[in-house]
Amino acid sequence: MTLAHAHSIAPAPGADQGGGLAAGLLAMVALVGLATLLGLTLLARGDLADIGLLYLVPVMFAAIRLGLRPGLAAGALSSLSYNYFFIPPRFTLAVADPSHLITLVILLGVALVGSQMAARLRQQAMLAQAQAGRDALLAGFAGRLMGVTRRDALWAMLAQEVARLFGVRVLVAVPDAQGVVELVTARPAQDRLDLLEAAAAQWCLDSGRSAGPGGQVPTASEWLFMPVPGTQGPLAVVGVGNPDADLPLHGAQAPLLESLLAQAGLALARITLEEEKLALGRVQERERLRSALLSSIGHDLRTPLTTVLGTLRALRPLSPAQTVALASARSEAERLDRFVANLIEMVRLEIGAVQREPEAVDLAEACDAALDHLAPAVSAAGVERAVPEDLPLVLADPRLLHHCLINLIDNAARHGGGRGIRVEAGADAQGGVELAVCDRGPGVPAGEEERIFGMFTRLEGSDRQGGTGLGLAIVKGFAEAMGLRVTAANRPDGGARFALHVPPALIRPVVVPA
Amino acid sequence: MSGPGEGGSAGVLLIDDDPAIRALLRQTLSHAGYGVSEAGSAAQALAERAARAPDLALLDLGLPDRDGLEILPQLVAAGVAVVVLSARDATAEKVAALDLGASDYVTKPFDPEEILARVRTALRHRARLAGGPGGQAVLRFADVEIDLAARQVRKGGAEVHLAPKEYAFLAELAGNPGRVVTHAQLLRTIWGPGHETDVEYLRVAARGIRRKLESDRPPGQSALRNEPGIGYRLDLTRG
Repeated sequence: MTLAHAHSIAPAPGADQGGGLAAGLLAMVALVGLATLLGLTLLARGDLADIGLLYLVPVMFAAIRLGLRPGLAAGALSSLSYNYFFIPPRFTLAVADPSHLITLVILLGVALVGSQMAARLRQQAMLAQAQAGRDALLAGFAGRLMGVTRRDALWAMLAQEVARLFGVRVLVAVPDAQGVVELVTARPAQDRLDLLEAAAAQWCLDSGRSAGPGGQVPTASEWLFMPVPGTQGPLAVVGVGNPDADLPLHGAQAPLLESLLAQAGLALARITLEEEKLALGRVQERERLRSALLSSIGHDLRTPLTTVLGTLRALRPLSPAQTVALASARSEAERLDRFVANLIEMVRLEIGAVQREPEAVDLAEACDAALDHLAPAVSAAGVERAVPEDLPLVLADPRLLHHCLINLIDNAARHGGGRGIRVEAGADAQGGVELAVCDRGPGVPAGEEERIFGMFTRLEGSDRQGGTGLGLAIVKGFAEAMGLRVTAANRPDGGARFALHVPPALIRPVVVPA
Repeated sequence: MSGPGEGGSAGVLLIDDDPAIRALLRQTLSHAGYGVSEAGSAAQALAERAARAPDLALLDLGLPDRDGLEILPQLVAAGVAVVVLSARDATAEKVAALDLGASDYVTKPFDPEEILARVRTALRHRARLAGGPGGQAVLRFADVEIDLAARQVRKGGAEVHLAPKEYAFLAELAGNPGRVVTHAQLLRTIWGPGHETDVEYLRVAARGIRRKLESDRPPGQSALRNEPGIGYRLDLTRG
């Protein structure tokens, strides 16, 4: 059963009641006949005016139950019967006494007034019934919406419900990433919107107003498109069509569909929220995994490495061949340790867990600490240290700076072709201080000065060997976390030069303590 | 430097949850003549401490049952010198341990030689605190002499005049030879409470000391070593 038939919202409410009306009219005629018979039996004792009152019964019945016209018909029939059977001259339609005319007029008047009152009452009852039906329908629809958790399911359900309730064909279209309408579902099924449909749907989506026959704006399409409202404009458009009728929707159907679409809009907002919550949960899960990875690397990887490296350092070679083997094992284990340290720092950077506690740092001391840490690895290459003693202090996190310098020097040792490393410091062109690590390796390929700091970057076409590309990425990440800038360049006389630039704002004037 | 027998009768308690690391440390320390006991958890460590009264504990802070920083004060209060084993990136943890009374720290992965050096230093420091022998009136590195009794610093036999704060800084480190003293500890002792974060004072004083005592050294070879974010150490092996 469609809504049109169930709830009197359709245009011809009496259509189904034809049989009822005929029976009613029959009953009315019978009542008039009954009143006449009763009148005839009363005629001997009563007076004529009392008999006239008998006709009020069929008139009121017809007026209240059957409406205005049957009511008037009952009035007319009653008047005629009364006139014919009772008013002298009896058995004619002539009226001798004018006072009897008044009785006839009153009968007609009662029919008129009674039927109008009854009609109003009936209309109100019908409206209340229709409203209750709409409420029940909306509540049912809202209930079914509650169970929907995905967008596509929402659109499918909306199309199905609208088709069922209004007895129409349905299209549902949503904006794509560019805001262009795109068909998501249709009943009966269709693949895509044709040109006219797409234009009307697009207009509806863009304007937020209904478009098409019976809508706020007429269009060339025979579909009526209505927006699914959202806080930021329409979320979708729903098209309804009915090839068997001149208009897809009639009378109260349009506001009802509007209510349904408003509910669908709310449901979509809820689904969007749930999707965002789900996405947030996934992000949190990813963060949790990263933290777990961090502690796993920190403990499970470092603990055995500590034993391996400690053992290698404790071993004393018994022959020249063992000396070489042991040195190589040690340097590789140390490299692995630096790699693990870099991996941990990279995860920290990625999850934003890098702590900064800046303090006044003497760059000369920072260089010495980093060189000490790398002593065995860099002593072979030889380090030239050109850091002036009177360099201003800089505000930096000592741990992060230490890690940056270790990575830069380690990078120079590995890519510098085993020749001299130079650590130099001084004023830079921006009025700040720079600390640079230079090598004699193949240098940085032209145009790769930025990319060389990317994660896992191993420059192609260059013979820079080894490494994972993590070290320089961490240098950049840490430097930026401290407010420093890092640059890569080539030395005029060959080799690469990586520099940390301290901006003037982070330079601390050397104060003389009391 | 780490020949057998150097440990004498000193007892060392190894506190680390990893048996392989304990085995390596036991090997290193017992070879050097120390009496070694082991604990794999904080609870075991406290029981071992009570049972054996070790002179020194090598304490890993990541224990399975409790944070190593929690039992550290108990060990220190019982007269045990504590050397902390800690990861390189755990700067804050090291400072916290030193502030709680740890004698020193060794960064993992460690060099067995470094472990022995730190253990020796920490045991000497403990002996000094107990008032026993080990306090030296005159400390020497390279051609520098620090005469704590006379409050004099000599280089190549000639007296060098240090500013009062420079001398106080150097004397504080000389009183803890080879041992790291945190920035905050130095600042509190020399400049007084309230100056714990004025690290730049230390930087300036350190520069003054190096300029006056070490100008003839190759760059990067200063005996006055800074541990980034932690403190200073007077490295007497330098020179």
